[in-house]
Amino acid sequence: MKKYLSLVKLLFVQQYRIKPSGKKRKKGGTIALFVLLGLCFLPMLIGVFAAMYYLGQVSRGIADVGAVCAALIIICQGVVFVFGIPALISNVFTVKDADKLLFLPIRSASIFASKLTVVYLNEVITTAVTVIVILLPFGIGLGAGAGFYLLLIPALVLIPLLPMLLGCIIAVPLSALITKFSNNGIFKTVMQTVLYIILMAVYIAGMYYLGFFGGSSGDITGGADSGAILLEKLQQMSKYIKYVHSNYTLAVAMTSAAFGALSLNLVISVAENVFLFALVLLMSVPFYHRMLTVSVEGGGRGRHKKVNADELQVKNQGVVKELIFTDIKRVTRDSQMGFQCIMSLIILPLMVGIFALAFGMSAEDEGSILEILQVQPMYQLIAPIVFVGYMSMLGMTSNVLGIYPISRENKSIYIIKSLPLSFSKYLFAKVLLATLSMVISNIITCLLIVILFKVQWFYGILMLVTMALLGFGTMCIMTLVDLKNPKLGWTNFNQSLKNAKNSWIAMLVGFLCMIALAAVVAPCAVGWALTDGGWYMTMVMWLLIIGLSAGYAVVSYKVMASRAQRYFEQIEP
Amino acid sequence: MIKLTNVSKSYGKSQVKAVDSLSLEIKDGEIFGFLGPNGAGKSTTIKMITGILSPGEGVIEVDGVNIAENPTLAKSYIGFVPDNHETYETLKGIEYLNFIGTMYSVEQTALKSRIAEYAELFQLTDALPNMISSYSHGMKQKLMVIATLIHDPKVWILDEPLTGLDPQSAYQLKQLMRKHADCGNTVFFSSHVIDVVEKVCDRIGIINHGKLVAVDTLDNIRADKNVSLESLFLTITSAEETEA
Repeated sequence: MKKYLSLVKLLFVQQYRIKPSGKKRKKGGTIALFVLLGLCFLPMLIGVFAAMYYLGQVSRGIADVGAVCAALIIICQGVVFVFGIPALISNVFTVKDADKLLFLPIRSASIFASKLTVVYLNEVITTAVTVIVILLPFGIGLGAGAGFYLLLIPALVLIPLLPMLLGCIIAVPLSALITKFSNNGIFKTVMQTVLYIILMAVYIAGMYYLGFFGGSSGDITGGADSGAILLEKLQQMSKYIKYVHSNYTLAVAMTSAAFGALSLNLVISVAENVFLFALVLLMSVPFYHRMLTVSVEGGGRGRHKKVNADELQVKNQGVVKELIFTDIKRVTRDSQMGFQCIMSLIILPLMVGIFALAFGMSAEDEGSILEILQVQPMYQLIAPIVFVGYMSMLGMTSNVLGIYPISRENKSIYIIKSLPLSFSKYLFAKVLLATLSMVISNIITCLLIVILFKVQWFYGILMLVTMALLGFGTMCIMTLVDLKNPKLGWTNFNQSLKNAKNSWIAMLVGFLCMIALAAVVAPCAVGWALTDGGWYMTMVMWLLIIGLSAGYAVVSYKVMASRAQRYFEQIEP
Repeated sequence: MIKLTNVSKSYGKSQVKAVDSLSLEIKDGEIFGFLGPNGAGKSTTIKMITGILSPGEGVIEVDGVNIAENPTLAKSYIGFVPDNHETYETLKGIEYLNFIGTMYSVEQTALKSRIAEYAELFQLTDALPNMISSYSHGMKQKLMVIATLIHDPKVWILDEPLTGLDPQSAYQLKQLMRKHADCGNTVFFSSHVIDVVEKVCDRIGIINHGKLVAVDTLDNIRADKNVSLESLFLTITSAEETEA
């Protein structure tokens, strides 16, 4: 037990530990960054909190409030599932550290148990967030008794078990496939991306069903009570949700006023969840042992086909071209980095598609939100800017090539430092690759916006120019940030990303860009209205936006160019 | 030729010097063995010579070129085999060699013939079309050795080069080191294996606590002290420990 606990502690702490760098960390700056980001996200969290509170209020007095609560538990579990499954695959089933652990005097069952515990603990943390944002305000709105709040604590422990079981059902065959194609990094990357898109589609379908998108009758356009509509949907769901009995009994226990009903349902729920946990173990243990054997015995070493030296493809190309192609190969063949990279390419077009779906759904006898918006006089003025702001922020945050140019070199950074390569060429290759990937994504995004949102084509071009300039500027800043404090020495890229500040800094920079855009657009929109839609106000606005974006790009580039080499030389691998 | 003049290095804001006022000259045609206990400053010295780390003080010259003033030219003279075998795991062996060839501007015909020659010598030809991640420790070491030789470096620096190599490859590597030095190039290598140093090197240096505590030819050492290199190494380093 002591060994198991030590291993759990080691694995749990390791994933959140920030690798100490040579320089003393400035904790104040990190705290300030997270406080600022927290403030940025606060309105959204408050919005969800308020909606759930209101849902609780409208649920008062309905016959089967337990079923509504069970539906909310399912929503929490959906979030836990989506965030938990990558951790389940990478931490438990894709056994990468067998050689580091198997020689220790610990049973392999203990290693498995500790890994599963770490995944479970992570899911409990995610659950805690969803409980605070969804279940707690629902209970307050409902005017629930003390039992509801007390049972939130066992709920934290019980809610992650169903997502873990579902995760195992998906992860087991998926991990087997990943191992089978372990030497084909691109296949693994594509497979992961497809899975992620499927999960996202399922999530969106669920959200659509619940009426979070504009397809349901009159929720926004009709001005009807959105809380009541959501309640209606949840009640419809509850017919099926009762079959997820472990959730239903937990929800009934939480919403019961009588102690007897509370205790009985809680006991049933605990028993059912224990059964779920037993199923998780039953599925996972034999598969884990199989993966362990494969990882230790199936390295594929020594299985090289006979090759004639003349058959080897020896080629010498330009330095920058070689740097870029080598970088592309390294990124796409690494399943974690490749996945992040492909996602950063497709996330913007994907989001535009989702928005088009959400806003384009028509109610039975009314037009869609999009149709209503498109006839507004200011649509062509404002819509492109809203897209530019949102897409720029999202694009900057997700561009792995741009925000981790040095960290992704990891321990092999010494190779670049020892090569007879001028730093300017190296930097140019990094910036060019990140810019190209960003511009490709931006072109597809703008094209989709023009087609799906009927934004006029010349605004599409202006959007593309603005997004490219803003993206380039932010990428320069992020390259500098990464050069100044690269995260080297990681063993798991995804875990490394969790501990790195770069994404958050990129998000903050993107958010500031959005604010700057709003500051330009607001007076121009007023001017546009006062001049009855004068075309020159539109022109002035776009000139200002593009001018400021170009200025931002130029200044960022100059700052990067003036400091980058010094920071690079200070990296001590 | 490698020349270090009063080279010192501290990490971060530490007051402790990992390398302290190191002065050393290694001539062309010479194999120089660099010895020292763990943490003595061997790898730090090597990283400074190869341009991976900047020295805090002092001057490093490679074939007469100051590496601080003209790093690209100085680095083009060096071939470096690190001790950690960290490389681009998701590249194929041949892709890595092509990459290195491009970085050192090796002409394509020369690149092809050198890859064929060294891959044959180290029996790695069959593995070159495969991902480096599928290589064993020794195979990665061989690949790193080949990668450093394809541009025919004037200065060949090897950090613990024999670790993980099979006896046949270890023998080939020692032969190559001798051949490379005999062609008028400089070979600088660090090792913990004193027997190898004794057999291969023309001259040795012993570093302890960042300071160079002994430099001489093996013949002189043997003549002066009439002791084995191993006992000399242990005497010098333990005496330093006592003084410290």
